Amino acid sequence: MTAAITEDDTQIDAAGKPGFVANIGKMSSHVASYLQAVPLAMILGFFFLLPILMIAVVSFWDYDFASLYPDFLTTNYTDTLGSWVTWKTYLNTLKYTALVWGLTLLIGFWVAYFLAFHIRTTTMQMVLFLVCTVPFLTSNIIRMISWIPVLGRNGLVNTTLIEMGVIPRPIEWLLYSDFAVVLAMVHLNTLFMVTPIFNTLMRIDRSLIEAARDAGANGWQILWNVIIPLAKPGIAIGSIFVVTLVMADFSTVQVMSGGQSASVALMMKNQMSLLQYPAAAANAVVLLMVVLLMVAAILRVVDIRKEL
Amino acid sequence: MSHEKRTFEFYVLAAFFTLFVLFLYGPLSAVFILSFQGPDGGLTFPLNGVSVHWFFNLFEQQAVGDFGASFKRSFTLGLMVMIVNVVVSLLAGLAFRRNFRGSAVLFYLTVASLVVPSIIISLGIGVVFQQFGIKPAWYSSAFGAHLTWTLPFGVLIMFAVFNRFSPAYEEAARDLGASSWQAFAHVVLPMIAPSLIGVGLFGFTLSYDEFARTLMTSGTYNTLPLEIYGMTTNVTTPVLYALGTVTTLFSFSIILLALAIILGLRRRQAKVV
Amino acid sequence: MTNDTKTPKGISRRGLLKSGAAATGAIVGSGLITGFPTIWAQNPITLRQFGTGVSNINAIAEKCKADLGITLEMTATDSDAAAQRAVTQPDSYDIADIEYWILKKVFPAGVIQPMDIKKLKYYDKIVPLFKTGKLKPDSIIAQGTAPHTVGYVEAIGDKTFAKGETQFFTMVPTIYNADTLGIRPDLVGRDITSWADIMDPAFKGKTSILNIPSIGIMDAAMIMESMGNIKYADKGNMTKEEIDATIDFLIKAKQDGQFRAFWKSFDESVNLMASGEVVIQSMWSPAVAAVRSKGIACKYQPLKEGYRSWGGGLGLAAHLEGAQLDAAYEYINWYTSGWVGGYLNRQGYYSAAMDTAKEFMTADEWGYWIEGKAASGDIMSPEGKIMEKAGAVRDGGSFEERMGKVACWNSVMDEDRYMVKRWNEFIAA
Repeated sequence: MTAAITEDDTQIDAAGKPGFVANIGKMSSHVASYLQAVPLAMILGFFFLLPILMIAVVSFWDYDFASLYPDFLTTNYTDTLGSWVTWKTYLNTLKYTALVWGLTLLIGFWVAYFLAFHIRTTTMQMVLFLVCTVPFLTSNIIRMISWIPVLGRNGLVNTTLIEMGVIPRPIEWLLYSDFAVVLAMVHLNTLFMVTPIFNTLMRIDRSLIEAARDAGANGWQILWNVIIPLAKPGIAIGSIFVVTLVMADFSTVQVMSGGQSASVALMMKNQMSLLQYPAAAANAVVLLMVVLLMVAAILRVVDIRKEL
Repeated sequence: MSHEKRTFEFYVLAAFFTLFVLFLYGPLSAVFILSFQGPDGGLTFPLNGVSVHWFFNLFEQQAVGDFGASFKRSFTLGLMVMIVNVVVSLLAGLAFRRNFRGSAVLFYLTVASLVVPSIIISLGIGVVFQQFGIKPAWYSSAFGAHLTWTLPFGVLIMFAVFNRFSPAYEEAARDLGASSWQAFAHVVLPMIAPSLIGVGLFGFTLSYDEFARTLMTSGTYNTLPLEIYGMTTNVTTPVLYALGTVTTLFSFSIILLALAIILGLRRRQAKVV
Repeated sequence: MTNDTKTPKGISRRGLLKSGAAATGAIVGSGLITGFPTIWAQNPITLRQFGTGVSNINAIAEKCKADLGITLEMTATDSDAAAQRAVTQPDSYDIADIEYWILKKVFPAGVIQPMDIKKLKYYDKIVPLFKTGKLKPDSIIAQGTAPHTVGYVEAIGDKTFAKGETQFFTMVPTIYNADTLGIRPDLVGRDITSWADIMDPAFKGKTSILNIPSIGIMDAAMIMESMGNIKYADKGNMTKEEIDATIDFLIKAKQDGQFRAFWKSFDESVNLMASGEVVIQSMWSPAVAAVRSKGIACKYQPLKEGYRSWGGGLGLAAHLEGAQLDAAYEYINWYTSGWVGGYLNRQGYYSAAMDTAKEFMTADEWGYWIEGKAASGDIMSPEGKIMEKAGAVRDGGSFEERMGKVACWNSVMDEDRYMVKRWNEFIAA
């Protein structure tokens, strides 16, 4: 707050006095920017950059049964990258990511579209949006385990279907399967897609749509040529959220697949559970690289800095 | 003609939206129903009697774990994260309005912080604190760990807000003789207030729920999600579901409160304008 | 020395401590125990303990406060997090409540200080299983990370374990049990006698084993051996070839759809059984009791190959010193003095100091839980609910029958790197 005051004061001073003073004013407004950015930079520096560097360092260490030894070894990486398990696990994780991303995008977009274009009053929009938000405020763990009594062999879905005579015996693949994993992930993460898309859709100038309609565009053309391009930044941000969350997930995969499916983070956790930190760290660095590449790809398609 | 088409589209989408809401609330309803199990009930169907036993049990001492203390910690931590999140995101948002050297680096650092898998950050912060001989605790290391997750959300939201924010409003205010502080406090702040509330709520929620980032950074005492997880090693009663039901109701009231505040602000703004 | 410490119930713990201190004063000498109560009165002491929810029970903290005046702050975690916290955040606790198999890795990290057995008042009462590996002098030592193999060091500061009993004890054992297959007698429809029965095609898609790598592989080893597929030199310390054979076997069973799910925490095992997802699975005795308490038939099935056993204990954090260290010793002495033992026994686990625990249980409870006799009255849980009706006999029989038939202990293998690698492969398959 104080930074904001000083900054604006100097601007006014600068505006009042031309030439040399204005330069100082410009400089001090830069200073103000720096001051305003310092808290963020410091927090990220200490709690993000430093720990990541630490992980990177540890990933080169040696370890044996009992302890870790500072060293510079690449075996942790060759072990990780050289095993087909890693690749298969990445493939599996990517499969989840692709499925969940596709589904959350599809659902998230239409929900946001409905809220933004079909609900007329902002109050109603907000109410409906918050209706979507409430489940996300319940503990993740509880939300996840709540699927088990629904999907189980004797769960809600199966008993209902059997009573209705639709199926003769319980459907086994509802729980402890890829289906269950994806379902729970979509359930957990859709809000992260809805929110940013809703945000961008709300900012689309309605006259653009009118203009397109006047020019003879049909509904699909408007959607495809006007709305979606303008919603791209929101889609990009939502995609970043979802991709990141799914790539790093271990608890959903563990619980919903009944421990029968692998994910990269789960592989790391198994290593960590036996205190094999360098191996886990190497895995972490690889995972980090993969996720960063995916995000870089998203950012290449949409420059959120410019378009946000 | 186009009007008719829109109504048809409206009904399809309304049905879709309803299905989505049902999907969101479906498993919660299972939690809701199961939390009313009888005293001998378990975590799965079929129901074993009906009672409100587990809601009372929630406020009694459990065999293992302590809901009250861990809830207090999580709630306090959530508030801390919320406040810091709002202040730091706002400042960063203001900073990013001008292009300063290093702004791109800081921006990508922020995005990276969002992207790095939670468990990695958790491990890293735990190790750093250990190496520096600082005691990890929920209010220090876990607090930082949560911020690495909530701040990017906050900054991105502020970024979006200020990118679309025309400086014309402030200029107009200054032309009318307002000091820059007045312009900020009376023009900018009210306009971005709903977004700030959003940033705060998001920060609180994400922190309150955070599990993986707290796992290796919480120090001696558990936050609520960790406590729930720890309790599953011994507790198999619907008390966990009762907790879920109570949290959902609690969230409902918080959200209603936020809604009331936002609407109130808007009304005031409407009067001012 | 401890023979005279036998005290009738009802006398306050402080009184017991004093008489105990008088009786053992010659040995304690240093005045470690005498004079304590006054110190706590002036200077309240808090001990922070963490461990799994299995033994981090609030009732113990309450009783400890009442008896000793020491505030015990308990934090429950899952077993993975417990190991992580022990090693990576050694300042965050004073007492570590961890399992013996992971101690094999935690202790060399230097975060736990060994205890001087001279300061342990009830050391003599601890069952020999934790000192020599033998329940009775003629027992055979089970395979795996048997607690006594990681129970001692030669000197303070040592990172390697001693071969036999020494003066320095790494952890005081607190709680242990033998795991076996749990079954739903109403759904399996046949007699279960061997670990191999879990692989019966009739139970396809209705079985489960543990999903903690180092324990799950032991379940698999018990199954493999009982099927006659392989004979391990030491199930708890397999060679690479043995690991390969075991994991390959698991992968095949998984791909054939034999397993419904793998469980990781207590509640998951209870839910799997209670909801009928699974009819036969590797299980803990108290989990069986938890299923049964919901009115669902469930049996802890003794098997001819014997049990897979585990044990946990309390370790002192390396940073403890002075009054806090003294308080920690006093707490541990209190822990082994019987009240806690009785409490744990009544939950279906076993206490490490059986003789002292007996003083705090009724004859009927002792008969039911420990001696394998039919209960003469209803058996109540510590929370006051009826667990078993009069006339019930505990599955698996007496303490000696159960703990005398341990085939192997939960373990960390020397080849644990390779094992985790292959385990990840199994999960990915």
